[in-house]
Amino acid sequence: MFNNILKYIIIIFFFLCNTILLAQDCSISIQGRVVDEVSQLPLSYVNVYLQETSQGAATDNDGRFFFKNVCVGHYHIIFSHIGCEDSKLHIDLERDTVINVDLDHSDHSLGTVVIQGPKDNVSIQPNLSVNRKKIEDSSNQNLAGLIENEAGVHLIKNGSGISKPVVQGLFGNRLTILNNGIAQSGQQWGNDHSPEIDPFAADNITILKGASALEYNGGNLGSVILVEPKRITREPHLHGQVNYSYESNGRGNNANFRLEKYSRKIAWRINGTLRKYGDRKTTSYYLNNTGLQEANFSIQLEKEWNEKIFVDLYASSFNSRLGVLRGSHIALPEEIEQAFTLLEPFYTEPNFSYGVDAPKQHVSHQLIKLKAKYYQNETSVLEFIIAGQLNDRKEFDIRRSGRSDIPALSLKQYTVNVDLTYAKILGDNWNFKIGNQCIVTDNTNNPTGILPLIPDYLSWENGIFATISKKINVVQFKSGIRYDFERQEALTITNTLPKEILRYKNNFQNISGLLAWEVDILDHQSISIYSGLSMRNPEVNELYSNGVHQGVSGIEEGDVNLESEIALKNILEYKWLPSPSFSLSTLAYHQRFKDYIFLNPQDEIRPTIRGSFPVFKYEQTDASIYGVDFSSQFTISNLIIGQVKYSYLRGDDTKNDVPLIYMPPSSVFGSLTYRTLNPINLSSKITLDEFEIELNNRMVFEQIHILAEQDFIAPPAGYNLVGLKVSTNMLTPSYKVRLFVKADNLLNAQYRDYLNRQRYFADDVGISITMGINFKF
Amino acid sequence: MKINYFLFLALPLLLTSCDKDDPVIPNEEELITTVNYTLTSSDGQDVVLLSFVDLDGDGENQPTIMGGTLSANTVYTGSIELLNEAESPAEDITEEVQEEDDEHQFFFQSTISELVVSYTDQDGDGNPVGLNTSITTGAPDSGNLTVTLRHEPVKDAAGVSAGDITNAQGETDIEVTFPIDVQ
Repeated sequence: MFNNILKYIIIIFFFLCNTILLAQDCSISIQGRVVDEVSQLPLSYVNVYLQETSQGAATDNDGRFFFKNVCVGHYHIIFSHIGCEDSKLHIDLERDTVINVDLDHSDHSLGTVVIQGPKDNVSIQPNLSVNRKKIEDSSNQNLAGLIENEAGVHLIKNGSGISKPVVQGLFGNRLTILNNGIAQSGQQWGNDHSPEIDPFAADNITILKGASALEYNGGNLGSVILVEPKRITREPHLHGQVNYSYESNGRGNNANFRLEKYSRKIAWRINGTLRKYGDRKTTSYYLNNTGLQEANFSIQLEKEWNEKIFVDLYASSFNSRLGVLRGSHIALPEEIEQAFTLLEPFYTEPNFSYGVDAPKQHVSHQLIKLKAKYYQNETSVLEFIIAGQLNDRKEFDIRRSGRSDIPALSLKQYTVNVDLTYAKILGDNWNFKIGNQCIVTDNTNNPTGILPLIPDYLSWENGIFATISKKINVVQFKSGIRYDFERQEALTITNTLPKEILRYKNNFQNISGLLAWEVDILDHQSISIYSGLSMRNPEVNELYSNGVHQGVSGIEEGDVNLESEIALKNILEYKWLPSPSFSLSTLAYHQRFKDYIFLNPQDEIRPTIRGSFPVFKYEQTDASIYGVDFSSQFTISNLIIGQVKYSYLRGDDTKNDVPLIYMPPSSVFGSLTYRTLNPINLSSKITLDEFEIELNNRMVFEQIHILAEQDFIAPPAGYNLVGLKVSTNMLTPSYKVRLFVKADNLLNAQYRDYLNRQRYFADDVGISITMGINFKF
Repeated sequence: MKINYFLFLALPLLLTSCDKDDPVIPNEEELITTVNYTLTSSDGQDVVLLSFVDLDGDGENQPTIMGGTLSANTVYTGSIELLNEAESPAEDITEEVQEEDDEHQFFFQSTISELVVSYTDQDGDGNPVGLNTSITTGAPDSGNLTVTLRHEPVKDAAGVSAGDITNAQGETDIEVTFPIDVQ
């Protein structure tokens, strides 16, 4: 995995020298050396492939490679290394050439320091990221599924198609997802709402686990997920790729294409994805009505003037239909208890179907963004972003008299973002950054014949931040402050008779601050300390929710008197990267909350005509969440690569001395990958390289830190999932094809996951085989 | 640069300069506020009305529940009426259930010994609905009668057409409990 998150392209230096003019056209040599960008240590066993002639080579112990008898012409050279994203170089070959390549090899799952391009600012933050290669190799996954195995990351799900990420115990309102630099808008509070982002449009998904991500808006309390495409490669030819995969469980089809071309006038990239899944299957029965359909498209345009002004226009459209297990559409507690005792959920049918019927969700999300970056001089950059989003969510329930076609919930949310940031390197190498961010959100319910759970509202947020950082010898320091102002106007409808409209106006002010140090100690070791204070004001759902909510199986009521919650997060991280073949990172964190907002079950059981429902009210308490994220990667004699990732987390309501509910249990992910060192020549034209076999295992422990009375049913037992993946690249003179086959839940384990609401009603999915092909040209 | 900066600050301000329009109060056509279960003795002399009224839906106000006193060893004819009294005039939801009688079924569970409720109506497939019932009382006792309406039950599942709710599935549209005295 790669740390090229804020570097849009891997920096490749190449020098043309040693010029010897030769009489013969086809006796030119290309030689070079590949080194690790961070450590500058030579990288051995990097596969170097000369695409036009199908010549392949691997670097030696000193990182050197050599091609001889190459003709004059245009060539593409591909550098690939295990776990790394390929980097491609275009050269006009006229004479003997020496190429020196800095390959970004450091393992980003370990959380390395992100140092942005030379003209940008320095940021210190533990981060980990998923690169393009993993996105392509996991084409059957949604955004949350792609990062599931990372240390400190868990998923909250409602069935297999709907999942949202949890980072260090925080999700929804407390976790910002930045899509292309824009805080993803939507109904992020609900446990049954996936982020509406097509991962295929991205090249990097980065999780920043800092104490306080000050530069990002959206009410985050520490962590941020960044989803970003990279800059279009400065390559004059039309390049593109097609991805297709088929997944046996759910009989899912995923198809994606991407095209891009650079010219001095304008650079462009388009991306399109189609997905279709039917009913998933557990070890023994179909999960009826859990299919999904998705159609996404994005376009990216880039234009540069004199290397001074860089303008980027990005537009994307995400459209999905998601089925919800019919047998899980139950809200009465005694019915949930009954459903839990069933061998298979109600409405289970013996046949597979692609149909998506009520209960279901139709969600679409449109984004348009214009970013302009002005490199004023060597030391200062000005960035301006304006973006608009439209999130349209419709949820359909089973209703009487043909009303199932009318959504039970229909929300339209318009969001406008305006950001302005200025970064400057001051004298004495102080990096200074200041910014203003503005978000206007307009949320409206369309008539459904049902009282809305979330009211209509309009909110206006404005945030100002300033950060300063500096590196002195082995010490890197960063500090910052942020101020946010939010004005909310919400219009609720009472359920009194006659119904009345109440208009609420709130003003909130939040202050956040951060201090961070990173110290390089001996032998490629470093210690980082982050300390951040952040505030988050209550969101509209926490203030004004009102009604029966399937997601909580009860009546959910907001409290208009809630105040901002305050969180203090401290992180201690230790990293050791002694060589490209071994790395280790341990991160311990503790976050204390004052006035933590949560949904608390009340003593009241409210009789209604549909039965008696438990009542949940948003309340505030003091809380503490602490945990450890550990990850390590090692290489055994260059043939086998091992990875271990472990997460431990514990959350407590410190005022009432009870555990916090919905906290992820501990989990361990381990993988062993065997690879071939040299390309395998199948024939003179066909070469296999990066042939890999990966065996992995994900073990999730039982959540024992919870009291019996805090849930309808005790948390499920722990489980263990085994996976196997075989992948290779097939290279020919004119194209490159990547092939993979993988098995998830290989042993067909029967299990239920604590953070999946479907666990009350049904088992999780059983074995699934995915076959994928990726064609690049 | 400073000028631009303040201009951008002002842009979103313009967008919020006016108040948001009032939302449309939904016409809750599906809401059921009232269940009236009328029991008439076979000689027509004794009419008992069991009723459950909850005008604010899921709101905080408690429902008004009216139980009744039945005579021992008597046969009653039962008929259920469903209303939405939040609308004016009140909407008759009974008709909706009648029109979709194959997708609806009432279930009757009682804690009273010797009280038996049996179906006297059928849908197009010959399965019971429960809008019309016959109630037979036995020895004097007191307890509760719970009336449940399920939408999209599986009527051919084991025991369902005989009035056993265990395998019925479906969404619960109504679940109300009436206190009953048999004297």
